[in-house]
Amino acid sequence: MQKEPEILSFDALVVGGGIAGGETALNLANNGYKVALVEKELSIGGKMILLSKVFPTLDCAACITTPKVSEISRHPNISIFTETDVHSIEKLGEKNFEARVTRRPRYVVEADCTACQLCEEACPVVVRDEYQYNLVGRKAAFIPFSICSPKVAAIDIDNCTLCGACEKVCPPGCIDFTQKPREYVLKAKTTIVATGFKLFDPLKISRYSYGSAKNVITSMQMERQLAPTRPFHTILRPGDGKVPDKLAYVLCAGSRDDSVGNPICSQICCMYSIKQAQLLMGALPMADITIYYIDIRAFGKGYDEFYEQAVSMGVRFVKGKIGKITEKPNGNLSLRYEDIATGKLKEADHDMVVLSVGVTANAEAGNLFEGKKLELDVLNYVAQPSPLLSPSKTNIEGVFVAGTATGPKDIPDSILSAGAAAGEAISYLNQ
Amino acid sequence: MQHETMKKKLGIYICACGGNISDYVDIEKVKEAIKDEDAVILAKTTMFACGDTNQKDMDADIKANDLSGVVVASCSPKLHLTTFRNVSERAGLNPYTYVHANIREQASWAHSDDKTGATEKAIQIVKAAIAKARLAEALNPITIKSERSVAVVGAGVAGMKAALSLAGMNDKVYLIEKSKEIGGKLKTMDVISPEKQSGSDLLKQLEAEISNNSRIELFTETILTESSGSIGNFTLKLNTPTGNCEVTVGSVLLATGFDTYTPEEGEFGYLSHSNVITLPEFKAILQNSSGKQLVVNEKEINSVAFIYCVGSRQVKGDNKHCSRFCCTAAMQTSLDASDKFSHLQCYHFTRGTRSYGKQELIYKATNDKGDIYVQFPDKKPPVVETSGDKLSVKAVDLLLEKREHEAEVDLVVLVTGMVPDKDETIGNIFKLPKGRDHFFNEIHMKLRPVETVIDGVTIAGACQGPKNVAESVNSAIAAATKAHSIIAKGELQLEPIVAYVDKETCNWCNACTDACPFSAISPIDFKDKKVAEISKSNCKGCGMCLPVCPSDSIELISFTNKEMESMIDVLAQ
Repeated sequence: MQKEPEILSFDALVVGGGIAGGETALNLANNGYKVALVEKELSIGGKMILLSKVFPTLDCAACITTPKVSEISRHPNISIFTETDVHSIEKLGEKNFEARVTRRPRYVVEADCTACQLCEEACPVVVRDEYQYNLVGRKAAFIPFSICSPKVAAIDIDNCTLCGACEKVCPPGCIDFTQKPREYVLKAKTTIVATGFKLFDPLKISRYSYGSAKNVITSMQMERQLAPTRPFHTILRPGDGKVPDKLAYVLCAGSRDDSVGNPICSQICCMYSIKQAQLLMGALPMADITIYYIDIRAFGKGYDEFYEQAVSMGVRFVKGKIGKITEKPNGNLSLRYEDIATGKLKEADHDMVVLSVGVTANAEAGNLFEGKKLELDVLNYVAQPSPLLSPSKTNIEGVFVAGTATGPKDIPDSILSAGAAAGEAISYLNQ
Repeated sequence: MQHETMKKKLGIYICACGGNISDYVDIEKVKEAIKDEDAVILAKTTMFACGDTNQKDMDADIKANDLSGVVVASCSPKLHLTTFRNVSERAGLNPYTYVHANIREQASWAHSDDKTGATEKAIQIVKAAIAKARLAEALNPITIKSERSVAVVGAGVAGMKAALSLAGMNDKVYLIEKSKEIGGKLKTMDVISPEKQSGSDLLKQLEAEISNNSRIELFTETILTESSGSIGNFTLKLNTPTGNCEVTVGSVLLATGFDTYTPEEGEFGYLSHSNVITLPEFKAILQNSSGKQLVVNEKEINSVAFIYCVGSRQVKGDNKHCSRFCCTAAMQTSLDASDKFSHLQCYHFTRGTRSYGKQELIYKATNDKGDIYVQFPDKKPPVVETSGDKLSVKAVDLLLEKREHEAEVDLVVLVTGMVPDKDETIGNIFKLPKGRDHFFNEIHMKLRPVETVIDGVTIAGACQGPKNVAESVNSAIAAATKAHSIIAKGELQLEPIVAYVDKETCNWCNACTDACPFSAISPIDFKDKKVAEISKSNCKGCGMCLPVCPSDSIELISFTNKEMESMIDVLAQ
């Protein structure tokens, strides 16, 4: 066991390696500041790198995220700490922060791994693949996903049987079961919180039958099915592998809903559902797609035009909140809803249902700081004491916030807030 | 020429783009077709050429095989030209020996109905790129000095905040405002949602910060009349109350704002009935009203109908865009009005409410206080009827089985949207492209929302698209950060791909000067005649001057006649 934590000094500490944290780090690094970018997952890129295409441009998300991720990972001024947990950050004085972090072992020597995937082939253990949102399996020795960064294998020690099969086949011999967690003290002059959001857990709405009805999936699972790094080569419903031809989207699944503790609008679900519907019409030209909505919130630049495009492509929009989803013996789903246009209760049959799950706060941000706590708002997002004039300032001077840590945001708004956080941090460093 | 060809050792990579290309183009076939081309010593296919693993492989291949040039056949060069130039550079090559071939947008996506044809076209495209790579020369970027100052045009909330942010990063700022007073539309905002701060208080605070900041030089009543130069060195001509002057800056940040849509006469009864007013007009009245009873035009107001989407999402008109801020602005105004005059009954005639994010709580508050929402069909707007003193709004209500809803009210408020600034001078000076909605266009909607295709010019606030105050400020600070990144180092590296003139054959005829969109070409004296000269820092390498030259005296570096002809020869085979 390591005796003393390694002490490293930086200008800025960025917590969270999603698109907002990454963009903040780049903005700072391009201006000559040394940045520590801390990410708890095995790869940087957050949720954006796992998306299919983005609205309303229909740019391939992987194609526009990989150059960013590549730029971040190669930048001489950025040090990336993946699989790293932040225990505490303490403000010792102005421009003097100290973070205690632990880097979990990957059980693979990062510098030597060539991502040849032979370990993956050799590993006999199959578990659910969290990066494919449980649609398929992965091995206990695995590369998280094909465009992950760093592209290095990892051993999922909780599921590993220590059989040693991977060790035997690894050409550079870089699998190392003796690796221990490494402790670091990261010193920095400013801290940027970019801890992102959590997807709403649809198990909280039992009447939508997620988890029990096999062909009810989340929008993130559909996102993976549509991505270039997709698990299947077409769209399949998970229950029996049938190609669906009558799909339904249930909007506001966990948003605008006091009964599940999330009264606000998630801001992105209307648009990503409209985007997925357009992509599905390309992938499955004969399929019928219905979007059940309360209001269509196509408010951003080019968004309303994108919505009109979906209407003209033949996506069916039905105003009405879904009350209950029931699985039928053949795996199809019966949706009970109030059809606002006629004021009648109706039932509709679909062979696959996508729950457009909302955004909820990642409350972990509130536990990052020791001493003076980072203030959260009533919804557990990072509080903005001066939202109009300094949206990226927090209650702690010298600590800034970027991206969805302050509330739901689409990608452009996250990028803008990352630019703003970096600007405010540079001004603070210049004081 | 033969000698040069012999020297080159090329590596070719053909990308599957995770299926984006390989679903339609047989990339193995492409590889087979090109692997024996002259100068090609290595040809590979790859799942994601841009991925980290392949970049590492390319680096190793270049070194192991002593390659002198690389071609990647993948997506549009807009996405990854720089990526692969950088890989080449890291492996020790000059980045400009790299040549990009686009077989995604130009082959697989364009011909997804014809796999054989798409594959054949891809082969031709790659062969042409190889022909170019054989001739590609090493180039060095042009380094220029950059002014450490920024001009911010427009002193509304976005411009003021951008100026303060730049000053905070130690940059010199010229803040240029055409009106007598700064603040833009901030002073007309009584309460800014959702934080309930008054616009005039915010303005006072910002004004004080600006006047106390020695790095900000404020020009009011000043018109920007001309811009010359380019990134790093823009010279701006200003027309000020005390005369004309010039400032030189490294970067320009535009925050020219928006206009409020003005309803046409008769649109929902506007101007034909005195108690049909716009949302900004209503807010101004509220700001100046007190007591127990709201009175507008000598009429006691006990009920108000808000009609949404006036001038936005037009079915017939040109404004197809959603103005983003107005749903919440109307709801907040309804709350503010009821705060002052608690008995007011408010009706909202909407096309579906768009109180996105946390603004949903404002929508909820209006429901809780008893506001009534009516949703009218997109193509069947409400009708405002007046008979004598009476005013009523009639609409088909989608929320009530399409029954007709009639609300007799004392005041109709038209929730007017944002339209682009009618004054197009600044956009024209910088030749900034606009979107279909006529707001300024960013370079990339998702990842580069404040940069523009004009190097060194950034955009902030509502000139890029409708935004509320908090969103404008966010974009202003983000734009300031980008502008700072441009100028902070004091020098800049520019692309060496520029045009140059053969002075011997040129007889200046003005044709190239007229064709140049960047004012980069001017005449100089050379051996008793006038010839054209192209400024390296202004030229963007667009090539507009080449075809208009009657004596064929202009060459574009990296797109020389020799290179283009060699590519055409291959394509014509």
